[in-house]
Amino acid sequence: MSENIKAPKIRAKKGRKKSRLPLIMGASITLIMVIIGLISIFWIPLDVNESDPSIRMLPIGTPGHLFGTDYLGRDVTSMLMTGVRTSVIIGACSAFLALFIGTMFGMLAASVSKLDEPIMRTADIFMAMPGIIFALVLASTIGAGYLTTIFALTSFFTPAFVRVTRASSMRVLAEDYISVARLYGRGKLFITFRHVLPNISSILIVQFTIYFAAGVLSEAGLSFLGVGINRPSVSLGMMLHEAVEQIGITDPLGVWPGLGIVILVIGLNLLGDGLRDYFDPRFSQRAR
Amino acid sequence: MGRFILRRLVFFAITLLITSVLIFALIRAAGGNVAAILLGKNSSAEEILKLSTELGLERPLPVQYFEWMNNFLHGDLGQAFRSKQLASHLIWTQAPVSVPLSLGGLLLAIIIAIPLGTYAAKNFNKPSGAFVALLSQIGIAIPVFWAGLLLSLVFGVHLGLLPTGGWVPWTENWVGSLRSLVLPVFTLGIVMASTLTRYTRTAILDVMNEDFVRTARASGMSRRVALIKVGLRNASLPLVTVLGLLAAEMVGGTVIIEKVYSLPGISRMILDNVTAREVVVVQSTVMVIVIYVMTINLIIDLAYGLLDPRIRVGK
Repeated sequence: MSENIKAPKIRAKKGRKKSRLPLIMGASITLIMVIIGLISIFWIPLDVNESDPSIRMLPIGTPGHLFGTDYLGRDVTSMLMTGVRTSVIIGACSAFLALFIGTMFGMLAASVSKLDEPIMRTADIFMAMPGIIFALVLASTIGAGYLTTIFALTSFFTPAFVRVTRASSMRVLAEDYISVARLYGRGKLFITFRHVLPNISSILIVQFTIYFAAGVLSEAGLSFLGVGINRPSVSLGMMLHEAVEQIGITDPLGVWPGLGIVILVIGLNLLGDGLRDYFDPRFSQRAR
Repeated sequence: MGRFILRRLVFFAITLLITSVLIFALIRAAGGNVAAILLGKNSSAEEILKLSTELGLERPLPVQYFEWMNNFLHGDLGQAFRSKQLASHLIWTQAPVSVPLSLGGLLLAIIIAIPLGTYAAKNFNKPSGAFVALLSQIGIAIPVFWAGLLLSLVFGVHLGLLPTGGWVPWTENWVGSLRSLVLPVFTLGIVMASTLTRYTRTAILDVMNEDFVRTARASGMSRRVALIKVGLRNASLPLVTVLGLLAAEMVGGTVIIEKVYSLPGISRMILDNVTAREVVVVQSTVMVIVIYVMTINLIIDLAYGLLDPRIRVGK
């Protein structure tokens, strides 16, 4: 015990110092990827759909084609830049929509017992729908593309936010200080936003970044299956699909888009970790 | 507890019913004119109408729905329009690929993730814990299909240890079947384990900050004992939620992995049948998958009640 009395001061300092590194790294990586995406809106080296048979399969580092060209002579650098943009837009939109809708319904389910069952059963229904099959059916109804993919991913992600929000809200609501707040006469709305939301925010932030990243990954997966983003749009998953279908898995063209996805997702996750430590000082000070 | 289980079971049935309507509506909305697609581009309007009537597709949708549900509940999952194969037969022949793949992946993920996540949380301020956290970060960031491609490149193409794709039926050569499943299960397992490790770590770190762990520590338990006796049980609540989410994601992962390793599984069958507009087969197969996922969710809901009496009593 004596060790515990002295310890907090030193450890809290150490913890704070340590917690900045993931935040800075994650924010930098995410920022760089977002900037690449932004640049690609205004400028890319060459048209992503312009093929030139005379310059097929140029190796990496060729002047004018930094990442070489693909089997039709299209510029890989341009495709990668556009692909990053697609990933960021789809990941961010679907995760944000799911966070917003999911948190609302999750907290509602946790605090209003009459609405608990209907909300959770609806979430179950959506969750039980295999997301990829759902996206596939959607893609054949309203056509594959940006909006379809975002819609499918949001529907698929929202129940996860509802469930996690509800589970952690209920854990908070079972705490003694909530009973005290109730005895004090605080209303449900006040308790929800003043006590529950701040206490579950660390979980939600982690959840948001995971699902931003999951959105990036799922979009890649859907495009890899051929039901996500298709030409003339470009996505990293679609590039891998083309590479594998056309030239086989041994070709280096199957590496860059995959690496792009990995870097973006790692950046997002680091950012989430960093933000959690930053917003939740309780975490770094009290953790033993 | 009995009432709690009964309630859950009733809701399970109701949920399945609503889901079946949704599936039916969604797939019929997507179907377009099924007969026209079955007959091809050069068919006349009369031919299309004739086939539609023959297949019973001209009747009102509610009638078709009730017929499908009625048959489904009696174990008749319908048959393919073109090949006349029974949907149940199709599912039955693909299940030996998909079920071991998905369950094997989930099991492997749990076996890897729970100890690893607990370890990472316990040692969160040591290099070893940070290393595990880093590993799980990288694992989460790797798309499941890319992991599959890289693994088959290393173990299949370069080392030649395992097949890179294809399938040997269990009855023909079970060693061959196992060999074709190793890489897919491993791919699915490590990808899901990464997510689960991260959640385990977060959940346990959160719990470590709770007063009851401090109390347990103050009452003389060592950090390890307090963590396992008090922490893990309390951390299991959010973890169980995540496991349910993973079970649904597992189905998605299975679709992609079956594509990467060209395995003839249920998901590939659905892909083929959606393209071919075999609506009845798709409806029934998706319904079977939904029941599979919902059953896992039911078990999780029941586990909730077991793990946290407050929830049970609150109902």
